[in-house]
Amino acid sequence: MTDKKLTIALAGNANVGKSVIFNHLTGLHQHIGNWPGKTVEKAEGTLHYKGYTIDIVDLPGIYSLSTFSLEELISREYIAVEKPDLVINVVDASILERNLFFSLQLIELEIPMILALNQIDIAKSNGIEIDCEKLEKILGVPVVPTVAIKGIGVSDLLEKVIETVEKNRKTNPSKIRYGEEVEEKIRKIVGRIEKFQYKYPPRYTSIKLLEGDEEIQRDVMEIDPEIISTSQRLAGEIERIHGHSCSTVITSERYEVAGEITREIQKITTPKKTSLRETIHTLTTHRILGYPIMIATVLSIFFIIFTLGDFFSGLLSDFFYGWQLAFKSLFGEGIIARLLWGGIIEGIIAGITVAIPYIAPFYFILYLLEDSGYLSRIAFLMDNLMHKIGLHGKAFIPLMLGYGCNVPACLGCRIMETERERLLAGFITTLVPCAATTVIIVGLVGTFVGFEWALAIYIFNLCIIFILGKIASKVLPGEPTALIMEMNEYRVPHLKTVAKQAWFRLKEFIETAFPLIIAGSFLIKLLDVLKLLDQIAFILSPITVIWLGLPTIAGIILIFGVLRKELTLIMLATLLGTTNFGSVLTPIQMVVFTLVTIFYIPCISTIAVLFKEFGYKNALFITIFEIVFAILLGGIAFRLLPMLGVL
Amino acid sequence: MELPLTELKDGEKGTVTSIKVSKGRGRRRKRSRSSWGLERRLMDMGLTPNTTVQVVKSAPFKGPIEIIVRGSRLALGRGIAERVLVEVEK
Repeated sequence: MTDKKLTIALAGNANVGKSVIFNHLTGLHQHIGNWPGKTVEKAEGTLHYKGYTIDIVDLPGIYSLSTFSLEELISREYIAVEKPDLVINVVDASILERNLFFSLQLIELEIPMILALNQIDIAKSNGIEIDCEKLEKILGVPVVPTVAIKGIGVSDLLEKVIETVEKNRKTNPSKIRYGEEVEEKIRKIVGRIEKFQYKYPPRYTSIKLLEGDEEIQRDVMEIDPEIISTSQRLAGEIERIHGHSCSTVITSERYEVAGEITREIQKITTPKKTSLRETIHTLTTHRILGYPIMIATVLSIFFIIFTLGDFFSGLLSDFFYGWQLAFKSLFGEGIIARLLWGGIIEGIIAGITVAIPYIAPFYFILYLLEDSGYLSRIAFLMDNLMHKIGLHGKAFIPLMLGYGCNVPACLGCRIMETERERLLAGFITTLVPCAATTVIIVGLVGTFVGFEWALAIYIFNLCIIFILGKIASKVLPGEPTALIMEMNEYRVPHLKTVAKQAWFRLKEFIETAFPLIIAGSFLIKLLDVLKLLDQIAFILSPITVIWLGLPTIAGIILIFGVLRKELTLIMLATLLGTTNFGSVLTPIQMVVFTLVTIFYIPCISTIAVLFKEFGYKNALFITIFEIVFAILLGGIAFRLLPMLGVL
Repeated sequence: MELPLTELKDGEKGTVTSIKVSKGRGRRRKRSRSSWGLERRLMDMGLTPNTTVQVVKSAPFKGPIEIIVRGSRLALGRGIAERVLVEVEK
């Protein structure tokens, strides 16, 4: 017997535990990718239950269906056009009113739906008691209480899914009533729209026309432009009566309905003592204490990742290079063998020794922090500073990640709301000295010039980030948006969900960056085998020697640095024949060299991500800009530093 | 008395009266798309007229403010919070 097929979608606000429920339902049978052509995450999975093969789609976390953001548009389109057999609306029981505001909009879409009342444990500890049966009766939608993090209620949810689908029960929006003036206008439009076939139900379409929804207006305009002028006139009437725009009136009244339902079904008793969650929140957002806590947290995370990463990276690299001799005895040392080893295999090794020891734990901790709720607190503390470069607090997260590795940092720019902010944040994160660059700053300048100079370079780098960020925010078209962010209650992260997210991100990194790392490594090895590197270094010497005042070999080193920036230090030692850089380079040369390596180009993995996230034009522009900028900066430093007489 | 949300002291409550959309006192375009979007988002997050908001605290150096609205905790950048006008509750 073949299984019957079902498709269900998970929809709800952000941070309500949607992805945890998704994980419980689908286990290992899942796939995270992007919505076609969009940088919005799409998670899909499959499960088998009682003779059904159920495909589950986890829609992005949103607060409304009003198409303000890409996420909202995608979700609405998916529900209306792809028509899943059922939508599970995951709701945070501790913030019922705002969550119901979204549920009401789903109900208006007249679809088969059930409501998962999640985090009832948190609600209870906040003193909120909810009458599920009553809620079910009022909404006309099956309600299942769940505590996703402990797996409670998930099987009940599946039972209800099957039951609802078999009965083919759709939501009925007749219970959601707006004020009489609005209802009257809705009726008028519904009367004219009913005869047309459209992806949304007539009542929903009418409400959205009154709200001035651009997408729906465009569609209806093609069917009958007169309906648009009528709806605009009616919306104007409402505006005159209420003194607010029609969309404001409808949103208010919808919230009114959500509020009324909430008051009817929930009993609140104030808990006797402040919860631990509350105390942690107060501490971590404290106007004084918040900052040292943040700095300590971030620093200790970096410390752990880099000590462990360094250790494992060395281990892995020893393991792989252990095969080199065997390889040589098998394939000899001909040109092809050298290309194969030095070009392709070393490229793969380079990728692996970065991806597994550094990037994997990095993602894991990042998602751990996000899931717990701490990242939003950091954004809260840093909002003010980020505004200085035309961004808001959330942009601090990718910026901070950049100090570890620019790759996850650039991918992390997706948390920004608009394309403009994503690009701006992406640009500035590529200027941040990553762990590999830190190796150079500390190993070269810190050791041979002086600690205070290493520190000065960091501070100088911060200044450059702020100046270039400021300029970029002025140049990029569009207005800066402001921080409007929910700080959800702290909670214990669900490790499995976190691990899975980290795993999928790691996979994405491997898929994006590895081909480029290997191709780049092959190309450079090819130049090496063909003995072209010296010529290239010679061609570059007007820049490297005359303008920057560096040794000729710097040209070769900088080319290799594109693969991995820490390679520059290793190559510097190999090509100069010593690790005592102080004896072969002047302090000024070391400072100039370090400055150039920090800025001169995002490494090849970062370029790959830039390309993927922002398109080839932007990736190319950022790359070329940074090359030119670094050369200019290095040359100026080379001339200015001796004049200052400090080195 | 009608005040911008940012004028409220820590712990004070107010009722939302309106959200100022245009920024440049009529000299700029009256309703640019992005500020309209911001207004919508504030509404969608629950800051509709006549809603009670409580200011919990603000981050230092004129940072964002933390508010409680309809049982949820939101952080609003100062620039956007200044545009939310409230009637202070006694």
